Amino acid sequence: MCELTATVLENKLIAEEIYSLTFACEEAVKVRAGQFVMVGVDGFPLRRPIAVCKAEGERITVCYRLKGEGTRRLASRYSRGEKISVLLPLGNGYYVSETEKRVALVGGGVGVFPLISAIREYADTKEIYAYMGFRNKAALCMQYEMQRGKELVIATDDGSAGYHGTSVQAFMENFERVKPDVVLSCGPTPMLRALKNAMTGRDIPTYVSLEERMGCGLGACLVCVCSLTNGQHARVCKDGPVFEIGEVAL
Amino acid sequence: MSDLRVKLCGVELKNPVIPASGAFGFGREFNDIYDISVLGAVATKGLTLEPRLGNPVPRIAESRGVILNAVGLQNPGVERFIGQDLTWLKGKTRVIANVAGREVGDYGEICARLDGLVDFIELNISCPNVKCGGMALGIRPENVENVTRVAKSALKTTPLIVKLSPNVENIAVNARAAEQGGADCVSLVNTFTGMAIDIETRRPVLANNTGGVSGAGIKPIAVRMVYEVSRAVKLPVIGMGGITCAEDAIEFLMAGATAVQVGTQNFTDALACPKIIAGMEQWCASHGVERVSDLVGAAKMNS
Repeated sequence: MCELTATVLENKLIAEEIYSLTFACEEAVKVRAGQFVMVGVDGFPLRRPIAVCKAEGERITVCYRLKGEGTRRLASRYSRGEKISVLLPLGNGYYVSETEKRVALVGGGVGVFPLISAIREYADTKEIYAYMGFRNKAALCMQYEMQRGKELVIATDDGSAGYHGTSVQAFMENFERVKPDVVLSCGPTPMLRALKNAMTGRDIPTYVSLEERMGCGLGACLVCVCSLTNGQHARVCKDGPVFEIGEVAL
Repeated sequence: MSDLRVKLCGVELKNPVIPASGAFGFGREFNDIYDISVLGAVATKGLTLEPRLGNPVPRIAESRGVILNAVGLQNPGVERFIGQDLTWLKGKTRVIANVAGREVGDYGEICARLDGLVDFIELNISCPNVKCGGMALGIRPENVENVTRVAKSALKTTPLIVKLSPNVENIAVNARAAEQGGADCVSLVNTFTGMAIDIETRRPVLANNTGGVSGAGIKPIAVRMVYEVSRAVKLPVIGMGGITCAEDAIEFLMAGATAVQVGTQNFTDALACPKIIAGMEQWCASHGVERVSDLVGAAKMNS
């Protein structure tokens, strides 16, 4: 884990309201699939927590949606060669055990990006079945990266590309054939809730990566907590962002 | 090499820089980024007698130059702090245990429990994010004096810092009330109560609706309050509110603070505190200041 000043290599629009930011650190950073980066935006006191999409040695790529003033500033202010303040790698990341061979990925919206890091980490050693949901065709991006597994189903809410429906629906339609040993997911809360309902009673380890407004990103400030089913709170940044789906109250 | 050491209530700090309560946990997480023994002290998360879950999320929001938080005193309770966190933290640097309660009696009880175990106790009577206790005790001067007296009477050895709320009619009057009640030191400012509304959803961003405002935007108000308080009481003052760099910290010293706390900037830059320490040393060296303590109250007002 380190605080450093990186150099922007590329910061470009890759789909409707979605940017891909690649920056170079001074040396290689070991990042696990599902971990994230706190990205500083000049003039804003809070950094933006963004999941790592690709980590190649010292080059890190994160993708983000234009959501508010901070992400708009991140998109407009940082071009190739600019210095950017980052804290990384953060959080626990996804976990797939040795014995789990068939890995299903279920993603929605910007939640597809941390799953791309899982495809990159596991494509050579596991069978990857990916179900990736987008709002519509204009939001679709990074298909090339998603195709590296054994199966890819693109789903759109309006049917303008691929399967007409959500990624959870697409996944469940293929469930009996795929018979996954483990499920990794990330996406908006209603999607994760639907997945939780669909997986109840199936006894297959299912992991979700959560999103929350964060302060320090390190687990110190207790700003980004989520509720656990046992009534306790967990820190999304430090104890997560990846949790066993049954463990968290969605 | 300039001397950064300062003395607070007879206790020496290796430098005047302290991460503020709430922003830094108990130091463990930031110790993964740098060795926290470089710090003058660590002010802990607000501790209560029982563990607390705090407020619902979102607990944080941003506005220009400031943030708002409403964590609501989530903490593991004083016993787990003593058993787990204090054991780890002790010896690395000076420990300021920030304590809060629901009612006056809680403050006496928690102070008695921590007496002699930590270097300082900081009385949190100014948290704007909890319904009972917290700020309710920190607004009226007579309440400030009363809770200070109760806390002080429970302490045999550990010096008592009273953290003052800026959400009051006259902060200098409350500082005098703390002094009257037996405080050994005052720290200020806690956060200003604020609100941020999401105009798309037409709802406050924070689940708690209101939260405490901190960050660079509040600095001039905090500097003015530190100045007023340092003139009003004989006690040493710990200054805070929007410190982002060494120059800001020096400004607070000149306003009358003996030491400073840094909160929000730890979120902007995890290395904020060690950078501020290094920057203060450099500033002193380049300005011919031998002892940083010579800067305390050095600002001369225009006549």
